[in-house]
Amino acid sequence: MTATQAAPGSGVGRFLGQSVKRREDARLVTGHGRYLEDVLWPDAWHVAFLRSPVARGRISTLDVKAARALPGVRAVLTGADLDPLVKSWWQTAMGKDSPQPPRRLLAADDVRYAGEPIAMVLAESRYLAEDALELIDLDIETQPAIVSDHRGRWGAAKDGELVHPEYGSNVASTLPYPGMPDSNPALEEVLASAPHVVEETFHQHRYICVPMETRGIQARWDPARDLLEIVSSTQNVHEVRSTVSRLLGLSDVQVHARAEDVGGAFGLKCFVDSEELAVAAAAYSQQCAVAWIEDRNENLVAGGHSRTEDLTVSLATDADGKILGIKGHHVEDVGAFPTYGVGGNAGLAMMMLPGPYDVGQYFYSAEAVFSNTCGMTPYRGPFLMETVAREQLIDITAARLGIDPVEFRRRNMIRPDQLPFTTPTGLVLETITPIETLDQATEMIGYADFRKEQAAARAEGRILGIGIASYIEGSPAFGAAGAEQVTVRMDMAGQALVFMGSGSHGQSVETTMAQVVAEELGIDIDDVRIVQGDTISSPYGTGTAGSRTATTFGGAARIAGQKLKEKILQVAAVALEASPDDLEITDGVVSVKGTPGAAIGMEQIAAMAYAGHTMLPADMEPGLEAKHRIRNPPLMFSNACHAAIVEIDRDTGAVEIKRYVVSEDCGNMINPMVVEGQITGGVVQGIGGVFYEHFVYDGDGNPLTTTFLDYLLPTAADVPDIEIGHVITPSNTPGGFKPMGEGGAICSPPALINAVRDALAPFGGLPNVQPLTPEVVLDVIDGVPAV
Amino acid sequence: MKPAPFTYEAPTTLGEAVDVLGRYGDEAKVLAGGQSLVPVLALRLARFEALVDLNRVDELAYVREDDGAVVVGAMTRQATVEADPLVRRAVPVLAEATRLIGHFQIRNRGTLGGSIAHGDPAAEYPAVVTALDATVTVAGPSGTRQLAAADLYDGPMTTTLADDEILAAVSFPVWGPRSGFAVREMARREGDFATAGTVVGVTVADGRITRAAISLFGMGPVPLRARDAESHLVGAATAGLDLTAVGAAAVAGVDPPSDVHASGRYRTRVASRLVARALESALQEATA
Ligand SMILES: Cc1cc2nc3c(=O)[nH]c(=O)nc-3n(C[C@H](O)[C@H](O)[C@H](O)COP(=O)(O)OP(=O)(O)OC[C@H]3O[C@@H](n4cnc5c(N)ncnc54)[C@H](O)[C@@H]3O)c2cc1C
Repeated sequence: MTATQAAPGSGVGRFLGQSVKRREDARLVTGHGRYLEDVLWPDAWHVAFLRSPVARGRISTLDVKAARALPGVRAVLTGADLDPLVKSWWQTAMGKDSPQPPRRLLAADDVRYAGEPIAMVLAESRYLAEDALELIDLDIETQPAIVSDHRGRWGAAKDGELVHPEYGSNVASTLPYPGMPDSNPALEEVLASAPHVVEETFHQHRYICVPMETRGIQARWDPARDLLEIVSSTQNVHEVRSTVSRLLGLSDVQVHARAEDVGGAFGLKCFVDSEELAVAAAAYSQQCAVAWIEDRNENLVAGGHSRTEDLTVSLATDADGKILGIKGHHVEDVGAFPTYGVGGNAGLAMMMLPGPYDVGQYFYSAEAVFSNTCGMTPYRGPFLMETVAREQLIDITAARLGIDPVEFRRRNMIRPDQLPFTTPTGLVLETITPIETLDQATEMIGYADFRKEQAAARAEGRILGIGIASYIEGSPAFGAAGAEQVTVRMDMAGQALVFMGSGSHGQSVETTMAQVVAEELGIDIDDVRIVQGDTISSPYGTGTAGSRTATTFGGAARIAGQKLKEKILQVAAVALEASPDDLEITDGVVSVKGTPGAAIGMEQIAAMAYAGHTMLPADMEPGLEAKHRIRNPPLMFSNACHAAIVEIDRDTGAVEIKRYVVSEDCGNMINPMVVEGQITGGVVQGIGGVFYEHFVYDGDGNPLTTTFLDYLLPTAADVPDIEIGHVITPSNTPGGFKPMGEGGAICSPPALINAVRDALAPFGGLPNVQPLTPEVVLDVIDGVPAV
Repeated sequence: MKPAPFTYEAPTTLGEAVDVLGRYGDEAKVLAGGQSLVPVLALRLARFEALVDLNRVDELAYVREDDGAVVVGAMTRQATVEADPLVRRAVPVLAEATRLIGHFQIRNRGTLGGSIAHGDPAAEYPAVVTALDATVTVAGPSGTRQLAAADLYDGPMTTTLADDEILAAVSFPVWGPRSGFAVREMARREGDFATAGTVVGVTVADGRITRAAISLFGMGPVPLRARDAESHLVGAATAGLDLTAVGAAAVAGVDPPSDVHASGRYRTRVASRLVARALESALQEATA
């Protein structure tokens, strides 16, 4: 079901705003996708990593002689072989000087998480490489691991034992940043004097990206061409290229990175991690081709972890439930080697905690701590703890005050007449519509009627609940990420190649960006092809991440398309002896407005632009190519409201999601079907996080959920039909698009948790435990204290 | 996740398979549907010099009636069992339990014999075999022998079969008229192994229960029979039966395992309620 509430001028055209079928699908759903493993070079040596079996300890023996001697093995490399090759190691977005844990390609003296790579075998096949692993003699003197217990008590992160002695502290980073005020006295006054102050700590357990295609890379150093050639499963080829060139002391022109189809990433493939870099270093030092396809076991244990945090929030209100102030303290576990910088998400969470509300006074502090676990990596909505905590606290506060949670939200949401609204952290919200999406979602789900149904069901002993959550999705486009380029090139036959620095890994970029360009050029969408993911052919860019593709690349594509259209009209004007202003393009034909007989086809125009350049005015550059590099604000926003109805089995604690409704406003939609696909996928990840997925370590830092037998992903059978409504309020950037790729994953956890909390209200409070396994739920129903 | 090297043997008759297996002794393993064995090999949790593939042994794939029992060959696919008209009529709980095994793709490959020989304590088939007092036919170097279900399991994923023996068939006794059955389980997701589950069978005559069987799965190292609860049921009037009390009796003294999915305490509570639900449904079927 879809409901749409559109503002005027919402940009619907021949292709734009239409649910054009995904051009990727024909190949992807018929098994013709081409992933890294489909294009492995026949001469590549296959890698298997020896990984640490324990979380922390000193390596006392590492003997690889027998493994090296196994027929079919080319090399067995250790830290002693590879780490001396490392010249510098940092992420472009973080900069050279941002703090980082000590980095290494392979652990040499000690190990710092279970799964850390220690040695790498290069063999004729992965089978042989794994045989060789078994011949390596490894002894580790185990040391006590620094781990937080999986229910979110951080007691172990003491500074007596250090994850990284070189770093000097287990505290990876803190907020406020040095130089920022370390308290807000006005907020303290509010908290001391407000009629109601509610404080709760919310926990979010460790759950992770798990893309269908795991990480993988192949690299080949060709001394004759002075080129390191890389194919990687990545969101960002330019980051692969630059991280590798910096690592090995090569220049950017000595490295060529590209991607094939990428089978999902969710943030895991934004940056480049030690295994991928080890492959590049091995190819360079061994002067050969080297390939590594991460297996699922490795992906779960060492592929980068996410979430794993606590947020304590205090909310002050007046007697009527008007919010007067809000304070947050965030504690994150970033593991041993977070993939970027020191890995914390608090910086963005801090900006976003007030959400779509007018919260009055505000303050936020945070601490990120290292542990002997797999490092933190970005995962769709990395900062989502702000929404997860705030939306739960709003429900708890509303219940305490005896105010309906929907009414409580409505009273505190930023109203249209307050726009543009400057938040306490200085964000300027110009076009958000939180009240409209709240109204649409509650109407779609039938909120008022549900309360009656719930009362009747309770009388029969059934356990039903409804949960609402609202948020604004902030998409960061700091630095180069806010300045993406699109180049549109029309060759002599009149079709368009579109070059972009994006890195689609499931976002339908080949479809949506072709829609934008085809719309602007007035040609058929089948005459447009998107070229991305290649450092040689794509303009410099930061790839696809952070919900930016529509706003940055989409905006740039629109303007580049407009520029090319102008050029096309100028050339056509010469041919038609008319003024460009009197021309229009329809279905690939340029004609004089009102005189359809005076017309010229795109192919003739293109031929004239190149081969017929002598006919063009002297001051007109021949050819048909246009580019635009956009300049977008560093943060853009969309907003949405999610509503869920659940029913709980009284005997088992199993939760069934009976309805799930989303109302969102992402401005002009390039393709509503793609928007809905993005929302649905995100919601499924929220369902996974709340009810199924949990990466568990024991108290010694041993991973317990190392296969899909124990790390439970939601399947199609566990996911309800997701009903989506749209409110359309264009942004003020080219195209009127807004960021929306992560919101499904951000807002679904609190909507679902709130629904369970509402269902369980007659049985007492929901403990601060995640995920909500049937056992957690049944313990509440049975009144049994949690284990 | 690549298996260590092994030799691959593909016999076409049961006799040949027994011979080949005998040559390797405990160095070989039988390959049926591969749905449990292949992941174990890929993770290198186990390794064998040889795999003896039974997939070409056609004589092991059948369902037939034999002297008041339904006999199912070991290599019969779970999907075949699920759809078989004889199974559905004569041993309906076997078909019902099959639907709870994994997903259809797994049931298309997975075999009845593989599941029973594998002996996962949280699996459905071993619990059905245990509840129904099925008999297992085992083929070895010195011929075939019959084994009662009660004597089949030794511990988690271990049977009393010798290394050179092959499970050839399972014989399910057909219960008489006015019998009812049910299987109930709690699984984290559709298709998962059970966190806890139960198989219940009853026969009713003149308003009294004349025969009762309750097995539990996911509740111990092997599928368990709730003998105490059964003996309380036999002779009891169906009217006014305290289902909750039967459920409680069925789990009394059971000490189920704890793992990342649930504690033993949760398993106990849920199993007792599942027994009550299953019994209610089985009684309804028996008295319908
Ligand atoms: C995702 C997934 C979900 C699953 N969910 C469930 C579930 O919910 N419930 C459930 O019960 N099972 C489940 N299974 C397991 C499935 O039922 C397997 O098919 C079954 O456990 C093993 O049967 P198989 O034919 O595949 O045997 P194989 O994997 O080939 O063999 C399993 C073991 O049995 C031995 N073996 C096989 N046949 C014989 C024989 N005739 N004689 C002697 N030894 C033999 C093998 O040597 C091996 O040790 C699941 C599997 C997967 C992959």
